[in-house]
Amino acid sequence: MSLLGALANRFAWARPIWTTISRPSVYFSFGALVLGGFVAGIVFWGAFNTALEATNTEKFCTSCHEMHSNVFEELKSTIHFSNRSGVRASCPDCHVPHNWTDKIARKMQASKEVWGHLFGTIGTREKFLDHRFALASHEWARMKANDSLECRNCHSAQSMDTTKQSPRAAEAHERFLFTGQKTCIDCHKGIAHKLPDMKGVEGWQ
Amino acid sequence: MSRLLRSLLRVALASSLGLAAPVAMSQSAGPDGGLSLPLRGPTPVADPAPAPRIQPIRNTAARETRNYPEQPPVIPHTIEGYQIDLNGNKCLSCHARSRIRESQAPMISITHFMDREGQFLATVSPRRFFCTECHVSQTDAKPPVANSFIDIDSLITHLKAGGSAK
Amino acid sequence: MTGAKFDRRDFLKLEAAAMAVAAAGMAPSAQAANLATDKDTATLDWNKAACRFCGTGCSVMVGVKEGRVVATHGDIKAEVNRGLNCVKGYFLSKMMYGEDRLTKPLLRKKNGVYDKNGDFVPVSWDEAFDVMADKFKAALKKRGPNGVAMFGSGQWTIFEGYAAVKLFKAGFRTNNIDPNARHCMASAVAGFMRSFGIDEPMGCYDDIEATDAFVLWGSNMAEMHPILWTRVADRRLSAPHVKVAVLSTFEHRSFDLADIGMVFKPQTDLILLNAIANHIIKTGRVNKEFVAAHTVFKRGQTDIGYGLRPEHPLQKKAAGAAKPNDATDMSFEEYAAFVSEYTIPKAAELTGVPANRIEALAEIYADPKTKVVSFWTMGFNQHTRGVWANNLAYNLHLLTGKISEPGNSPFSLTGQPSACGTAREVGTFSHRLPADMLVTNKAHRDRAEEIWKLPEGTISDKNGAHAVLQNRMLKDGLINAYWVQVNNNIQAAANALEEGIPGYRNPDNFIVVSDAYPTVTTVCADLILPTAMWVEKEGAYGNAERRTQVWRQLVTAPGEARSDLWQLMEFSKRFKIEDVWTDELLAKKPEYRGKTLFEVLFRNGQVDKFPVSELAPGFANQESEAFGFYVHKGLFEEYATFGRGHGHDLAPYDRYHEERGLRWPVVDGKETRWRFREGSDPYVKAGEGVRFYGYPDGKARIFALPYEPPAESPDETFPFWLVTGRVLEHWHSGSMTRRVPELYSAFPEAVCFMNPDDAAALKLRRGDEIKVESRRGYIRTRVETKGRNTMPPGVVFVPWFDEGQLINKVTLDATDPISLQTDFKKCAVRLALVGEAR
Repeated sequence: MSLLGALANRFAWARPIWTTISRPSVYFSFGALVLGGFVAGIVFWGAFNTALEATNTEKFCTSCHEMHSNVFEELKSTIHFSNRSGVRASCPDCHVPHNWTDKIARKMQASKEVWGHLFGTIGTREKFLDHRFALASHEWARMKANDSLECRNCHSAQSMDTTKQSPRAAEAHERFLFTGQKTCIDCHKGIAHKLPDMKGVEGWQ
Repeated sequence: MSRLLRSLLRVALASSLGLAAPVAMSQSAGPDGGLSLPLRGPTPVADPAPAPRIQPIRNTAARETRNYPEQPPVIPHTIEGYQIDLNGNKCLSCHARSRIRESQAPMISITHFMDREGQFLATVSPRRFFCTECHVSQTDAKPPVANSFIDIDSLITHLKAGGSAK
Repeated sequence: MTGAKFDRRDFLKLEAAAMAVAAAGMAPSAQAANLATDKDTATLDWNKAACRFCGTGCSVMVGVKEGRVVATHGDIKAEVNRGLNCVKGYFLSKMMYGEDRLTKPLLRKKNGVYDKNGDFVPVSWDEAFDVMADKFKAALKKRGPNGVAMFGSGQWTIFEGYAAVKLFKAGFRTNNIDPNARHCMASAVAGFMRSFGIDEPMGCYDDIEATDAFVLWGSNMAEMHPILWTRVADRRLSAPHVKVAVLSTFEHRSFDLADIGMVFKPQTDLILLNAIANHIIKTGRVNKEFVAAHTVFKRGQTDIGYGLRPEHPLQKKAAGAAKPNDATDMSFEEYAAFVSEYTIPKAAELTGVPANRIEALAEIYADPKTKVVSFWTMGFNQHTRGVWANNLAYNLHLLTGKISEPGNSPFSLTGQPSACGTAREVGTFSHRLPADMLVTNKAHRDRAEEIWKLPEGTISDKNGAHAVLQNRMLKDGLINAYWVQVNNNIQAAANALEEGIPGYRNPDNFIVVSDAYPTVTTVCADLILPTAMWVEKEGAYGNAERRTQVWRQLVTAPGEARSDLWQLMEFSKRFKIEDVWTDELLAKKPEYRGKTLFEVLFRNGQVDKFPVSELAPGFANQESEAFGFYVHKGLFEEYATFGRGHGHDLAPYDRYHEERGLRWPVVDGKETRWRFREGSDPYVKAGEGVRFYGYPDGKARIFALPYEPPAESPDETFPFWLVTGRVLEHWHSGSMTRRVPELYSAFPEAVCFMNPDDAAALKLRRGDEIKVESRRGYIRTRVETKGRNTMPPGVVFVPWFDEGQLINKVTLDATDPISLQTDFKKCAVRLALVGEAR
């Protein structure tokens, strides 16, 4: 009770404003209000999404040094950065789901990463390495749970031509991927960044 | 097959001329004394030679014949991005004893479980941890110099056939 | 050993078949499957030999059948490698069988006579030596003893190096003989001599299994000393408390085992070393008792220049260049004050290494409970302040007393298989004699002359021309007859376009190169001598832990190829003593009149003391058969008299045939693992505990030496640091390893490793053909942004094994002024796309 009271006191300044907003309009027609609200909604929605998309770029991701000098640096020598066809993955391609609700959920998770940045949780290479297993485990768990959705956004099993793959890859995909026994992330860990200590991880010695 | 025959003929011809190691002599007095350097190419030593393209790594599942049983097998596939460090060993995730049923890859040899004293350990010996000290993958680059090493089976077969037709 | 069943035609046929099958990409001997055969046929003749490649000194077992090497594997009985080899060692079997082995002497001729600009044609050994002797005699006549010179190698066997030293220092009376080891570990030698007064490591490889921490200072052991690395990995992974710190100017494979990885700005290792010393002092962890009893402090000469030609502005400017090796006494307090400016924060700022990592590294040395092994190779030694870097590393071990005991060991590794055994111990350097003796020391010369039965004054009292100076003197026409054995110096020496190539091609000079295969050095020569290699001769090598190893001749060299030893001794027959010695000198030994150099040097009652009947039955020995006595044993025993009783004792020769090597000093049949330590080293008396007996006062030297900048640093025109070095798969300039198809295909050509952001900024892609260019020249190579090395911005790495990409046309011939060793790790270059700009 006292908590609510305290809150009410805390927001006492907001009371006249709320009264104004909640009072019915006397100047605008209902139609104008609905239309205006709709337009404003689009504008706000657009702005929100634009802002969201702005945070959904490699440039944004690598604007903090934790990402830039650890994971991004490591990405550069891998096949997801440079390869024969020149199609490359940027951070959000793998780390942000493409459909909207999942994306918002992931973005809310990401606020923790901002927190980490502000408080220097992984401010040095050593600290980053200390946290690497936890960080990587989150990503593996997420990809495992969503059946490697972000991988499949580009690498559709249906579109794979195994005759164009190396015999080793073709064999493995036919036995494990196409049969649904395994999902991409089960085998393809550490393909874009370096691995944490793999002791105890399934399939690793 | 005709390629094989041609190579055979070429080498046999060189041999029959009494040049066990044929010194390729060009007609003109080149800056390098007419001596050929197959590992360098024709550019005179004082000039900058063109750099050949970087060749792709051979990426197959086919095993190569070893030159002798003690030779570590070459890696027939690419190992680009394979991590072998304090955190883990990517190679073992296929070639370890417990992994080969799933991977159908060859198991690391039993010698890899032996410590310095020759005792078998429960796990792969740490001295064998860095695979690439002995096992290397192969690019598509063709060796410019042939190697006339004769493997033991050829020698034995020849011996059993009574040596050369004298 | 070769059965009567096989003749040369058999082998030619089989070789042809083997090469054809390989050329066609087929598996060899498919027809020979399912063989199980009688014992006689199946048995291979196995014998030990030291590996031909690096300074680790692995022992290999060599399987021979019908006079051919058919298999090799790691020697289980060898303590160094216990059954392991690296990929190069496992392919030793194929090393000798490159199709283009040199089998006949080749002389440049036009119209049937020698001509500097002629084409190489096969000649007989007689004709080759006739022309060669003429040219050597002419040069001696024209310029005196120093008109001739020799460039040898840490790949020479002990006998070969010893015979060469005798031929040049005693026979031709010139000290113009130097090994390519000058490029490799001269700074380590000078470092030992300055800090301890005696050369080579006090510890041994056993330290690896006994230590708590490894620090790699400029050494990529994972690629360059693979089998030692397996021992380090074994220790680190099986004893989890063990820490590994790796320092380099870029990230390489050794970082895979690193707990502490540090990439520092080139040349700033000097700052890190002093900062650690300062940390030890500031945190009160100096082992005061040890320091007081066993060390003295020295302030080294500074501003010592860069070993460039004297007219170079940097040389003129250097105030201390005249006496770079000088030092004055100082106290501990003065030393502490000297290093006090090297704080960890300052070091972090200047080196680019985070302070927390410098502190973690410093603690490894400072913590009295942590045993530490420091390893280094070319990162320290190929450094314009390489001797300093060596001294500063010893400082850390001396300040803490972490030295000369199991697990506490400053350890300088070597690159070549007998850099220690031949180049250093035999004294093939231009300033040395066997057993650490110096040509400038009268007592040392006297002793050598006495052992060699020579008149007093035979050996010149002046230092001869070292490697870099030899090339300069060739270019300047001051050395006119020159013999190169077992090395590829046109590829290996810095600044090839301005010094090496013009020197060899100088019309005043006659250049002889002995090699097993054609190389860029052979094509720059005037006479090429075909050489027997490795187990085609009896040999002896000494590795980095003072281990001397011997092997027997197991097969016969192809064609007319002969060992370097035979070449040296046979050539000495072409000189009458009157051709090379003055009347004044001869007057002191009139009995030598009319004799040949061969008779004086090798038929002296010592070298020829052991009859051929002492050869082991069943083994060929080409040299002994040719000269009529057991050449190797005679040379070895005479050489061993230099060191016996002087801290360099070797066992009787025959024993080495039985052992997997022994670590000198070998006294009363026992080898020495830790020198300077009572109970382990027979030269330390009971009650002394520790004695650094290289100096008469028994004390080691702790040196105060500052940071000084490199000779050349990047600027706007040449914005990148160029680092050169090696790769795992190739050794010794690639002349042998690139002829093994598997090793060739594993790493066929050199590339330029660079940072991907640097590449992007220059609009370069992986695989682009680029020019790597310095003020001295350029090469064409390919961009590599992936693979085994991770380059920091502003630094590129190009290995030098590729004769198609002679990166030493680009490097600078600046040397450490004390060791005279070239800095191959630092010069400034620019990169540009070959062809049109994009």
